[in-house]
Amino acid sequence: MVTTEALLDIGLVHWIALSGIIFSFGMIAVLMRKNVIVMMMGIELMLNAVNLSFIAFAKESGTLNGHVMVFFVMTIAAAEAGVGLALAVAIYKKFHEVNIRFFEHLRG
Amino acid sequence: MLAEAIAFYTLAFFLVFFAYRVITVPNPLHSALYLVLMMIGLAAAFFNLGAQFIAGVQLIVYAGAVMVLFVMVLMLFDLRSELRAFSRGLVSGALKVMSAALLAGIALGAANSSVAILQPPADGAVSADVTKQLGVLLYTKYLFAFEILGVLLLVVAVGVVAVSRMKGGTHGHH
Amino acid sequence: MGADVFEIGVNFVKLILVFLMMVQVVPLLVWVERRGSAYIQNRLGPNRVGPLGLMQLLADAVKFLTKEEFVPGRGYPFIYYAAPVVAMIPAALAFASLPLSVPVNVEAFEMLGRTWGPYIFKFQGYEIGIGIVFVLGVSSLAAYALLLAGYGSSNKYALYGALRASAQTISYELAMGLSIVGVILLFNTFSFAEIVTAQSAPLNFMFLGNKVEIAWLPNWGIFYQPLGAVILFAAMFAEANRLPFDLPEAEGELVAGYHTEYAGFKFNMFFIGEYGHMLVASGLMVIFFFGGYTFYPFFTPESVAGWFAGMSATKASLLTALVLHAVMLAKIVLFLWIFIWVRWTLPRFRYDQLMDLGWRTMLPWALANTILTAIVILIMRHPWGA
Repeated sequence: MVTTEALLDIGLVHWIALSGIIFSFGMIAVLMRKNVIVMMMGIELMLNAVNLSFIAFAKESGTLNGHVMVFFVMTIAAAEAGVGLALAVAIYKKFHEVNIRFFEHLRG
Repeated sequence: MLAEAIAFYTLAFFLVFFAYRVITVPNPLHSALYLVLMMIGLAAAFFNLGAQFIAGVQLIVYAGAVMVLFVMVLMLFDLRSELRAFSRGLVSGALKVMSAALLAGIALGAANSSVAILQPPADGAVSADVTKQLGVLLYTKYLFAFEILGVLLLVVAVGVVAVSRMKGGTHGHH
Repeated sequence: MGADVFEIGVNFVKLILVFLMMVQVVPLLVWVERRGSAYIQNRLGPNRVGPLGLMQLLADAVKFLTKEEFVPGRGYPFIYYAAPVVAMIPAALAFASLPLSVPVNVEAFEMLGRTWGPYIFKFQGYEIGIGIVFVLGVSSLAAYALLLAGYGSSNKYALYGALRASAQTISYELAMGLSIVGVILLFNTFSFAEIVTAQSAPLNFMFLGNKVEIAWLPNWGIFYQPLGAVILFAAMFAEANRLPFDLPEAEGELVAGYHTEYAGFKFNMFFIGEYGHMLVASGLMVIFFFGGYTFYPFFTPESVAGWFAGMSATKASLLTALVLHAVMLAKIVLFLWIFIWVRWTLPRFRYDQLMDLGWRTMLPWALANTILTAIVILIMRHPWGA
């Protein structure tokens, strides 16, 4: 089934597999961690995994559209991190904690 | 072929290991540092895939700016290791891990089955002057998206300043 | 490819040599810094150990190596030990990618019963096509050394120093990156070698579609981008945490900032990192704005190669590279001296002044410079007559 040759001949599938593994790690971080900032890091992990797949596809197809997409994803990720961290700091100022169990109820 | 395989598997090992550490270490700051290492490794992967400019931007934007912000904010909070870093519930936890693994499996399966229908690269493919072509593409085909992104960044900058200067709010004062 | 044992071996030795070059320049710079500061402040400086106090370096090295090993009790030992190593890496990586002279052409030769070559060896650690982006990316990682040091030592002063340092580095990186954009637009390339080659000619530019040439001036970036040069140089001071931007280690406020808890060789490694940054900064200034390893009309690759016309091609190429390397080093030394000179001349900024300068002065000027350069290049290079 899986031959040594298939393992050694690095192509698109290998990179996509790597990207998928990293993406699922990011997803697990968002689902299971309690700290808001670690959850945001999980989102960054997922975005990075997607970037990797974009670049792999770009190489495979021989066009540069994937690179442009990665460029956009990076910009939006940076913006998202800025907003998220500003919110986290605002929350920390109020609750002195960034664990989601402290503000999962909508009481003041 | 062998050199390529060695490069890929070394990179893949480090990337997966660092990503795994990001989600398992209890101290958020250590998570952030592992994420930095992951992103540097990813820049190497981009370089390997012939995207030199994107690799440089990855280093500058992600590793050099976004993650520095993360580390700085975490240092300001001064959180020691969390006692309960993960959400409770063994069954729900197992379900979550399984769903993530399923997603990865689906992605891999989709990629594996779609390789056959992927069009082969045009001859000449991506030449050495990737950066120049990227610039041309950004300012012709994707000009509108590029401009919208500028507007988005402006909005975000204003929003962040507003959030960080926010006083009071609906939650009242403690 | 044709990479054989000889080529791989030479490239490997080259990497080690470039790294050693960066490390070995540190004791010399420390000596220059001490004697130079003494000269500026009208005193003698260290002059007891050896001729001109040169042996002081050796004595210092012995002292650094024999200091007591010390780890703060409440910190994170691994991070504490990692920080000084991380401090050295970005500077070393960036310095290795700077071209220090023309490539050396080695012709095919006989050795050990077979023919080797011909080879072309780049006079630098390694060449990456997108040199400028690589240097910017790598040097933006320098903030982590300070962050790790501040966090790992579990000391309030160290933490404050680290926070200041990272905020400062992020702020000044923007102005630094933008100031380089003008140069990239001007020379139309990301590669260091091409930028230097473009500067080894007489001053020439397109004026409304006509070519203008001034034969007695070199084609240096400083004549086109004086504002970019000033902004880059100032931002480089901030990146290297040198006075007047040494808030992260301001001794009057923070004891010693992020390296409060470091002594002995670990402290020395932070020092190597700082001087490495100065070296990279000087190298970038020379490459972008002052002709790199060329000096038209006296030392261009062609004219220097002409001096060694009678010799064998390999020997002539090697000698040419060495002469041009000496030119490059002379320029770098000049900039290193300016770094030291400024340190002992200007007082330290207040923190709000520092942020003000970065965000409200240098960033707008760098932006204006970029836009203006783009517009002028568009107008000047447009073929109006045609």
